[in-house]
Amino acid sequence: MLRPFTLHRPETAEEACALLAGLGEDAAVYAGGTELLLLMKLGLLRPRHLVDVKRVRGFGEIGLAPEHGARLRLGAAVTHRAVEQSVLIKARCPLVSSVARHVANVRVRNVGTVGGNLAFADPHSDLATLFLTLDATVELVSPRGRRELPLGEFVRGPWETSRAPDEVLGSVALTPWPADTAAAYVKFGAHERPTLAVATALRLDGLAGAGGGVGGRIVDARVAVGCVGPTPIRVAQAEARLRGAALADLEDVARAASESAAGGVDPADDLYGSADYKREMVAVFVRRALRIAAARARGAEPAARFPYAVVA
Amino acid sequence: MSARPLRVVGHPVPRVDAIEKVTGRARYVTDLTLPGMAHARVLRSPYAHARVRRVDVTRARARAGVFAALAGGDLTWCDPYYGPAYRDRPVLAIDVARYEGEPVAAVAAVDEATAEEALELIDVDYEPLTAVMSLDEALAPGATLVHAGQPPAGHFADLSTLRPRPGTNICHQWSFARGDAAAELAGAPVVVEDAYRFPSVQHVALEPHAVVAAWDETGALTLWASTQNPYSVRVELAKMFDVPLARIRVVVPHLGGGFGSKTYAKLEPLAATLARAAGRPVRLAASIPEAFQTVRRCAARVAVRAGFRRDGTLVAVECESDYDVGAYADIGPRVVQKGTYTATGPYRVPHVKLDARAVYTNTTPGGAFRGFGVPQLAWALESLFDGAADRLGRDPIDLRRQNFLAHGEEFAPGDTPIDGKLEESLGRAAEAIGWTQMPAADRGRGVAAMLKASVAPSVSEAIVRLHADGSVSVLASAVEMGQGTRTVLAQIAAEVLGVPLAQVTVVQPDTAVTPYDQTTSSSRSTAMTGRAVQVAAEDVRDQLLAIAAQSLGVALRELALADGAVVAPSRRLTYAEALALKFGMSGGELIGRGVIAPGRTAAPLGGSTPFWEMAVGAAEVSVDEETGALRVERYVSVADVGRAINPLLLEGQDEGGVVQGLGHTLLEEMLYADGHLLNGTLLVYRVPRADDAPGDLECHFVENADGSGPFGAKGAGEGSLIPVSPAVANALARLTGVRLRELPLTPERVWRALRSRSARA
Amino acid sequence: MTIHVVVNGRPRDLEVVPHALLLDVLRDALDLKGAKRSCDTQVCGACTVLVDGLAVSACTYLAVEAAGRSVLTVEGLAEGDSLHPLQRAFVETGAVQCGFCTSGMLLTARAMLAENTKPTRDDVLHYLRGSLCRCTGYRKIVDAVLAAAEAAR
Repeated sequence: MLRPFTLHRPETAEEACALLAGLGEDAAVYAGGTELLLLMKLGLLRPRHLVDVKRVRGFGEIGLAPEHGARLRLGAAVTHRAVEQSVLIKARCPLVSSVARHVANVRVRNVGTVGGNLAFADPHSDLATLFLTLDATVELVSPRGRRELPLGEFVRGPWETSRAPDEVLGSVALTPWPADTAAAYVKFGAHERPTLAVATALRLDGLAGAGGGVGGRIVDARVAVGCVGPTPIRVAQAEARLRGAALADLEDVARAASESAAGGVDPADDLYGSADYKREMVAVFVRRALRIAAARARGAEPAARFPYAVVA
Repeated sequence: MSARPLRVVGHPVPRVDAIEKVTGRARYVTDLTLPGMAHARVLRSPYAHARVRRVDVTRARARAGVFAALAGGDLTWCDPYYGPAYRDRPVLAIDVARYEGEPVAAVAAVDEATAEEALELIDVDYEPLTAVMSLDEALAPGATLVHAGQPPAGHFADLSTLRPRPGTNICHQWSFARGDAAAELAGAPVVVEDAYRFPSVQHVALEPHAVVAAWDETGALTLWASTQNPYSVRVELAKMFDVPLARIRVVVPHLGGGFGSKTYAKLEPLAATLARAAGRPVRLAASIPEAFQTVRRCAARVAVRAGFRRDGTLVAVECESDYDVGAYADIGPRVVQKGTYTATGPYRVPHVKLDARAVYTNTTPGGAFRGFGVPQLAWALESLFDGAADRLGRDPIDLRRQNFLAHGEEFAPGDTPIDGKLEESLGRAAEAIGWTQMPAADRGRGVAAMLKASVAPSVSEAIVRLHADGSVSVLASAVEMGQGTRTVLAQIAAEVLGVPLAQVTVVQPDTAVTPYDQTTSSSRSTAMTGRAVQVAAEDVRDQLLAIAAQSLGVALRELALADGAVVAPSRRLTYAEALALKFGMSGGELIGRGVIAPGRTAAPLGGSTPFWEMAVGAAEVSVDEETGALRVERYVSVADVGRAINPLLLEGQDEGGVVQGLGHTLLEEMLYADGHLLNGTLLVYRVPRADDAPGDLECHFVENADGSGPFGAKGAGEGSLIPVSPAVANALARLTGVRLRELPLTPERVWRALRSRSARA
Repeated sequence: MTIHVVVNGRPRDLEVVPHALLLDVLRDALDLKGAKRSCDTQVCGACTVLVDGLAVSACTYLAVEAAGRSVLTVEGLAEGDSLHPLQRAFVETGAVQCGFCTSGMLLTARAMLAENTKPTRDDVLHYLRGSLCRCTGYRKIVDAVLAAAEAAR
């Protein structure tokens, strides 16, 4: 049961921003409502105005952003389901589709949006973790114009972003990995929300491919760890250790990378586990994610499944 | 009686309420609307322990659309205390709030939004007090007392001698001894001992508690309540409002799950109080977080010591257990004494010393939950038993078999002898899990057994009505909460009266209509209420046979019932014809009555159990050693049920019991910090999902028709849950060498234990 | 405001306020009690209804979002007296106990079968990740869904 509010349905981003600027703290941006309506039911938020951005031109689109060199652009009101099913995303960056398939549950995916997820900045966000490895930038629209911000600067802390009260998150742009990249996303946890998530991408060169041996060198690497600390992070040290390594040496390099990752996260003791345990699990799953990516680099799909873990 | 094959009983017929449930037509309390019905909301204490200095509901009461706003101090016109063991629980806090979530004030308003707003207009002055949040804190010398003293309720025979320890938080103590356990343990060649902990968990019935209460102009009260025992609710309300039992009516539609959470009065007193103050019907529906603030399982810590001879004979057991019953006793004292009664499990033990205590803490009251005190003790004893097997160099199944009580053996003087064959269940489980074959290298297997008594003495009454057209009504107050009791009672009546199942209607429990049944719990409904229905149906049968014998001029022994008719060698009299003969017209009905009331006996708990519930569980697990995550790959449950009245329903119940048991085994634990419950919502309290169920789950039944229930039936539904945690822990121990003593076996706990093992190695 | 919604195949004009939740409108204004309020936080699935074929948590979904759309509740699954294959499978397999989760399970399964006529057990588990049951242990529910899929083919 919700307290009464006025529902506004702007059709342009400018209109939406003007509403937010005018209504101030009395207004909340509303898309899928999976987070907002829950907070309103609990009485934690009591906006008297909801600014529904689902009808805003451009917010519901998935496309290429040619002005950014073929980056993928996801409108803020694109649902997780749309991401999961998008032919374009499956073609350009299939891991994004696979991860979207495992966000929360099917009902949340049908209604919840990419923009809502990123703007809410829940520390247990799958998308934020993955998107860090795709050089994600968010587009913020306001009466003052538009600005673009790297995701890592947008998400500042648990439920805290750089969005000004009169700004609307309009879209997120991702830079798909080059064609010879193998990637994996693994999340782990026995609770409703994941205890940790690891996203990794390995760009390879000199790949042996199907039927070949274990040739190949890691030319570039991405490692992001999320859902475990106040914000998701890229682990630059881990990436550095991976760059230049031979795929054949992956096991050793993965160990080093995993230690960097464990050292780089800042978990707390909470319901999801102790900080010690979480750090150790980050190391475990960084290794596992890297092994999966490496196997995929060789054209194999590893069968290993881990209890309470989802592999995308 | 001839051994004619059973037509309906023993068959996996679809449940009689399946179609209404799959079409959305089944009605639960929150689906009901009464004209003029008001909606209630409850203001709950944010403190675990606080003096309630002042509650001012004036502004709430004055708000438009509010019909009533009450605080504890307003309840001067009724007895505001209730409780099945102690009448220690106020409808609304009086002077002191004893747990976070305790109702302090309540409103009834024209709609929920208004009620919600009215709550915000209530001012409460709290003075926080020191809280005792755990057994350790509650039992420490000089600990803050949750209660100053509490009057016994006096309802139940087995709770007529409650033994609190004044000046402490111990609200009941129960001991049992036989022989000289201390001496035997001192002399036994092999003694194993250990201490175990069982967490607080919540039932999480998908339907939280809900009530609609309405007084009429004559001062009679009707409630529609999501309750497992309408008659207990009735007697509480009768006492509270000083109204005769006959003028209080409790009606029970479908329950969306119970598992013990809905036994004894919970929100009904508050709803009735609000309805009286509001002068109109009041609907009070709890949310899931409020269910966490209403009742839970009693957490426990158990120390157990067992002595064996070298040949593996168990000679002595000592067990000390403390149960955390929360801020109000609810049925905690019975959980403690009845659970402890079978602390020695299904084994023969000549020397026994059992001491148990029910301890108050400033947390959600602990009450009944499937297993009723036995899961906590079986967790300990069955884990220890495997430890003993290790020490003795014996196979755990073999050691259990050696010490099992035999069919017909005495459990305790005055109580029912063991009425089942434990070794048969054990054998079936061993075979099904493949015990004698080596498991795969990454798998381990474990087993556990259980024994539980059903509540005694208890009473179940039933009425069966045969109508003029040959259709049948069954009137009994066993509550349908998903376990299938409506179907089972219909099957029993249909079987006895030789009518198709579709001709039998089981009326919803309604204390104005369906006769007394003590409780739907304790796995007793088939054995006790079912037996009452059987006797009532036999009463009708006998009346039919008498009519036919007289009218056909045939001896009784030549008559039988079949297909809705009395059948003689050369004649057939339909029931409609028989009634027409008796009444001389096409009206009238035959009424049959069944009363099952074994009464008090010399058994230690005051009554002899109507049957023993016995079961075995076997688990095969794998563990991800890097994370500690356990996976139960296979699970076998074997329950000795006497006769499965409906094998399909029984299998469903036991599958559900196993998975619910996996909840407290792997996932569930109510966590408190600084006096606050941290995980009282499903966003953070994790119950098993579909992918948590074992990939391979088998439920078997031993049926030797050796029960005192209808057609040789005994009870079932709790036996499948109880062995789960020790079977899984035993499997983990056999796989990894690691023994955990605290539930749930979360990945982190297992991981830490594995690391300690590696560190020691 | 007035919204036009097709509910279980019937066009309806509904008077709703912006802050009304779809679950309450269905249960209170239309007397469709099959969808239940349980966890109220989108975790359990007891309130599931289908909007344009997609499963949503009606407890956390504004009624106005259903404007111009079709809504399917459990009451709309059967065709007259003829049970939907899923309903029939649930009955025959014994996948119903207390029934509180049942309408959510049925509708979620129906949405899945509309997308995937040959689900594997893993597919079913994936789809039912957000549908809780405390009574059955899930086994018979999964069996029933697979049986219904089989029967429908």
